[in-house]
Amino acid sequence: MAARPVLRTAVRAVRVLPQSGPSRSCSSSRHVRLFSTTPRSFKSPSDHATSTSSSTDRTTHFGFEDGISEAEKTERVAGVFHSVAESYDRMNDLMSFGVHRLWKDHFVSSLNPGSSSSIPPKPQHILDIAGGTGDIAFRMLHNAHTIHRNTSVHVTISDINPSMLAVGKQRSLSLPPSQQSALSFLPADATALPASILPNSIDLYTVAFGIRNFANIPLALREAYRVLKPGGVFACLEFSKVENPVLDAVYKRWSFSGIPLIGQLVAGDRDSYQYLVESIERFPSQGEFRDMIVDAGFVVGGDGYENLTGGVAAIHKGMKPLDG
Amino acid sequence: MAPSRAFTRLAAHRRVLGVVGRQYQLQRPYYSYDHPPPPGPFNQTEHAILSAAYTHVPEHGFTQHALSLGARDAGYLDISTAVLPDGPFSLIQYHLITKRQALAPKSRAIFNALDAAPGDGAKGQTMKIDDRVERLAWERLLSNADVIHRWQQALAVMAQPSHVPASLRELALLADEIYHLSGDGAVDPSWYTKRGTVSTAYVGAELFMTNDRSPGFAQTREFLQRRLEESSKVGNALGGVAQWMEFTAVAGVNILRSKGMRI
Ligand SMILES: C[S@@+](CC[C@H](N)C(=O)[O-])C[C@H]1O[C@@H](n2cnc3c(N)ncnc32)[C@H](O)[C@@H]1O
Repeated sequence: MAARPVLRTAVRAVRVLPQSGPSRSCSSSRHVRLFSTTPRSFKSPSDHATSTSSSTDRTTHFGFEDGISEAEKTERVAGVFHSVAESYDRMNDLMSFGVHRLWKDHFVSSLNPGSSSSIPPKPQHILDIAGGTGDIAFRMLHNAHTIHRNTSVHVTISDINPSMLAVGKQRSLSLPPSQQSALSFLPADATALPASILPNSIDLYTVAFGIRNFANIPLALREAYRVLKPGGVFACLEFSKVENPVLDAVYKRWSFSGIPLIGQLVAGDRDSYQYLVESIERFPSQGEFRDMIVDAGFVVGGDGYENLTGGVAAIHKGMKPLDG
Repeated sequence: MAPSRAFTRLAAHRRVLGVVGRQYQLQRPYYSYDHPPPPGPFNQTEHAILSAAYTHVPEHGFTQHALSLGARDAGYLDISTAVLPDGPFSLIQYHLITKRQALAPKSRAIFNALDAAPGDGAKGQTMKIDDRVERLAWERLLSNADVIHRWQQALAVMAQPSHVPASLRELALLADEIYHLSGDGAVDPSWYTKRGTVSTAYVGAELFMTNDRSPGFAQTREFLQRRLEESSKVGNALGGVAQWMEFTAVAGVNILRSKGMRI
């Protein structure tokens, strides 16, 4: 632990080079780095969650460490994302072989927000949960405002971690003003959405690479169901199970030995990367997760999911029934 | 068993052509929360949206727009169409499946009417299998009439690599159905050839029909009859399927070109 800040400083000098993506501004990365050196010392809405007795009593798993309380998991997860907020893009690159941006494009275009059969188009309210840095939200605004010329689409970006939201807010400053005014930011725990989001008020609930971190996934699904309008859609993009056994073996090898090592070398933070890999492994299979969505009351079409890149990731969708 | 053999051969053929696509499952599971699923392959929600959207196809084609209009008519939101696994292709499948399923009751009506007809001409009972096959294929073609001006566009969607396996499988199911309804119970080496023959003739006629302006599509029927005779002489079924895939691919590319895409 004592050696880590030294390693970080050493790596930081090198990090300027692999820094990728034109969207990351200097100020936002500096902002996050500030947080990343003090990962466990922040206060956030998760602290509200920890104060409820139900979430302190139940136990859950943190990566492979079983038996920790849900509240503790929520707090530890928040810590992890503080320490990796800055490099989460790079981490997604490592886990997805660089194609997570294409997955996100596909995810958003398959949902096609802003498309409307009515003139003038009906307003849509989208809730992007664990929306962190705005990756999904910005794509949806683009799809609705630019492709469909439908400016009556509003996106609320929600995340448990205020510093992730701060990154998103910073990045949103480079959007056209009309899109900026169609955005709002809401710090919230996905397993206990605040009263400001009314029941039956949301057209589309999205969560990308977030749900596997939630302390109680069925509870988060019930919350999604509660806030969605009848006919509204739940959509999730998440790392999943590679279906071909040979590819699976290769991918496991890469993720379990390669990625934590790279995390150590590049970010000086093996633990966080280890957690990410293990949380992906612990996440239910495509079929199991689909069944959880159905158990929460949603209707699914076809198989209920679509594999991306052989199952490295998957998109799940469910609709709240009209009589729901 | 013959049907699975046919499917395996189609699958092998797909590999040869290097077509990649989602593996089509023989039995897709369908989920509905608290209603029993309606008969057929679509669940309650899919059926509600697709059947409403289908009424907009003559005006708007097999498009996302037709789907949205259908969702609205059925009381859903604009976003609800996102749960359909294949977007506009789901609407095409709805057409293919419902029209195939409608063939059985039609076939009973047609052949019973022939039986009841006075005189001892072409009675339903005594009609040759080949003639019954022709009659059923023609009946199926006629059920495209309302959407035939939208069908080239549908073929372009079906020719997309990820949709080819499901499209071919639906074609195989149609051929099965036609032979089954014609009363041909033979399971012998000619099984595959016969299905190949009717598949090829059917898709050729269908493509012909998209440009047929003759009254009652009379020229399409002549085309169908010619193709059935010719193919039964050649009997090269696999070649026929390859021909069809080439056909649809070319049709697809031409349509995309006509829409201004540089291919
Ligand atoms: C890997 S990031 C995903 C960011 C973005 N959606 C993307 O696709 O790149 C995961 C996010 O989940 C958030 N998160 C973790 N637990 C949460 C919870 N219980 N409620 C809401 N957000 C949570 C983290 O703060 C983090 O921002």
